[in-house]
Amino acid sequence: MIIEKGKILVVDDELGMREGIRRILEMQGHEVDTADCGHKGIEKGISAEYDLYFIDLKMPDLEGTQVLREIKLVYPEAICVIVTAYASIDTAVETTRMGAYQYIPKPFEPEELQILVHRALERRWYILEARRLREEQERRLLEVAHEQSRMRTIINALDDGILVINQEGQVVLFNPGFLKLLNITTEIAIGDNVLDIIPAQLSNQIKEIFANRNQVQAIIQEIVIHPPAKLVIMANTTPILGRKGELLGVVSVLRDISELKKIDIMRSQFVDMAAHELKSPLTAVQGYLELVVDKTLGEEPELYEGYLKRSLERTKSLVNLINDLLNVTRLEAGKVRREIQLQNIKELIDDRIDFLKNDIKQQNLQVLLDVDSDMYVDADREDMLRLFNQVIANAIKYNKPDGTITITGHKNRNYVKVDIADTGIGLREEDRQRLFEDFFRAKNEHTRNITGTGLGLTIVKKIVDAYSGKIEVNSKYEHGTTFSIFLPITKSQLS
Amino acid sequence: MDKKILMVDDDTDLINIYKPVLEKAGYNIRTAYNSVDGYEAYKEFLPDVVFVDLSMEHFDSGFVLCHRIKKLPESKNSRIIIMTSAGHETGIRFSTETSEETNWIKADDYLEKPVSPRDLLQYISEKVFKNK
Repeated sequence: MIIEKGKILVVDDELGMREGIRRILEMQGHEVDTADCGHKGIEKGISAEYDLYFIDLKMPDLEGTQVLREIKLVYPEAICVIVTAYASIDTAVETTRMGAYQYIPKPFEPEELQILVHRALERRWYILEARRLREEQERRLLEVAHEQSRMRTIINALDDGILVINQEGQVVLFNPGFLKLLNITTEIAIGDNVLDIIPAQLSNQIKEIFANRNQVQAIIQEIVIHPPAKLVIMANTTPILGRKGELLGVVSVLRDISELKKIDIMRSQFVDMAAHELKSPLTAVQGYLELVVDKTLGEEPELYEGYLKRSLERTKSLVNLINDLLNVTRLEAGKVRREIQLQNIKELIDDRIDFLKNDIKQQNLQVLLDVDSDMYVDADREDMLRLFNQVIANAIKYNKPDGTITITGHKNRNYVKVDIADTGIGLREEDRQRLFEDFFRAKNEHTRNITGTGLGLTIVKKIVDAYSGKIEVNSKYEHGTTFSIFLPITKSQLS
Repeated sequence: MDKKILMVDDDTDLINIYKPVLEKAGYNIRTAYNSVDGYEAYKEFLPDVVFVDLSMEHFDSGFVLCHRIKKLPESKNSRIIIMTSAGHETGIRFSTETSEETNWIKADDYLEKPVSPRDLLQYISEKVFKNK
């Protein structure tokens, strides 16, 4: 390999020699610069790195050795050829010790020059190639170092715990997440044996991988750690294999899944209760229908109509329950698309009272309204209608015949407060406390014939929570209940 | 004398369904809609068999009633049978398969709703009064 088109500087005070060399080299396709004295030679020579320097040893202003030294100072790998007369051959030899590549005695034949230049440019190519490789390697090393510290930062920032153990059972790497998750307070250093410090379930995973080194597979396991608090950790221990498949160590990744577990349990409890609630109306419907169908049970046919009516009512309540179940799960899953708009509270309440007017009439209830007409919230209309519908419907359903519903709504500095009070059956204190639990229904002699899903107030609570509001209940058993709904006032009305 | 059956269930429809069928079959029926009334009715009526719904005032009020009845010395002459929709598939697991479990739930047997009126009749005649 060779540099085909070299960049060459000729420093010589003799015009004939300068131009002679230039002509020969340019004919070979090289690019040649010249300098006619030592100072200019240094100036040009260090302004850029040439592939090759020809330096005359004897010049009037400076010794060629001086020029060589200056150039070598800036470019230690520069290839410099010293041009010299026979008389100063000793000095020329001396210059090779100073780093000159070669010397060429004057006068010389064009062929001699060409051979020298050829060899010098070959050498130059190797120097440049080596330099390139070195620089690339340096750059890579730099990247690796950078990469390592970046990885380190990432690993340390993880909430998941990470522990890497080598074949000898010594710690190779761990992160703060690991210490925190397992509540390890003892000092751990790289190289320590930690199998006795970590929970047995985890060290067993690690030991198991080392024990079965021929058929190494990852072990994924839930680990439950009692005190301080019940902690459920998903531990994933994976073998680290070498190039030939040999076991080098293991890495354990620990994730705290306690919260997920809790949600899981709550969810399955909800499903259990939902199944129970769905079965109750179906049991009644099935029983009534069997009495009608299986005539040998000896029922009087004139009772059948009543059975079918009750079946119909229980079926309706079943549909309501399914709708409420869907509403609850939708609200929980955050799947509700809310179109937030300015909502006038009084208008919403008027709308619902009109919607429920038949039920109000049936119970012969009196509705007293004292709601500010200029009270607004930023909310989805459907949410607000469902919210007020549920609370007002409860005030109707759990009222006593000829009773009263009093709705008052007033603006405060940064929220609106709506009180919906009935003069109905009221709540016992123990029932009041459980009112917002899923499927909870107060059961006593007054409520026996009132149907409900036990989810209405669950939905109400979820809607209120979604708008950062609050709901409170005051009640006196057999006297009535008051629900107080607080909602943040619209931004446009914030004082 | 007619066999006496007490049914404790807060679902008035279920009482409406079972009561006439059992009466027609010649049983003497008493009903109660909550665990407190059920307990009083038990002491007064001293039935041969009691059917108890689990979830009345509270999810577990049927259990409480079973425990209270079993504490009465008279209860050794009664069979207590839990009747509930909270069956196995709802995740609430209890059974009367082992004496330990029976002892814990304080019931002699357990029926999973829905129970059809005919199945209930059959159950009572074949399982409950078979040996009597």
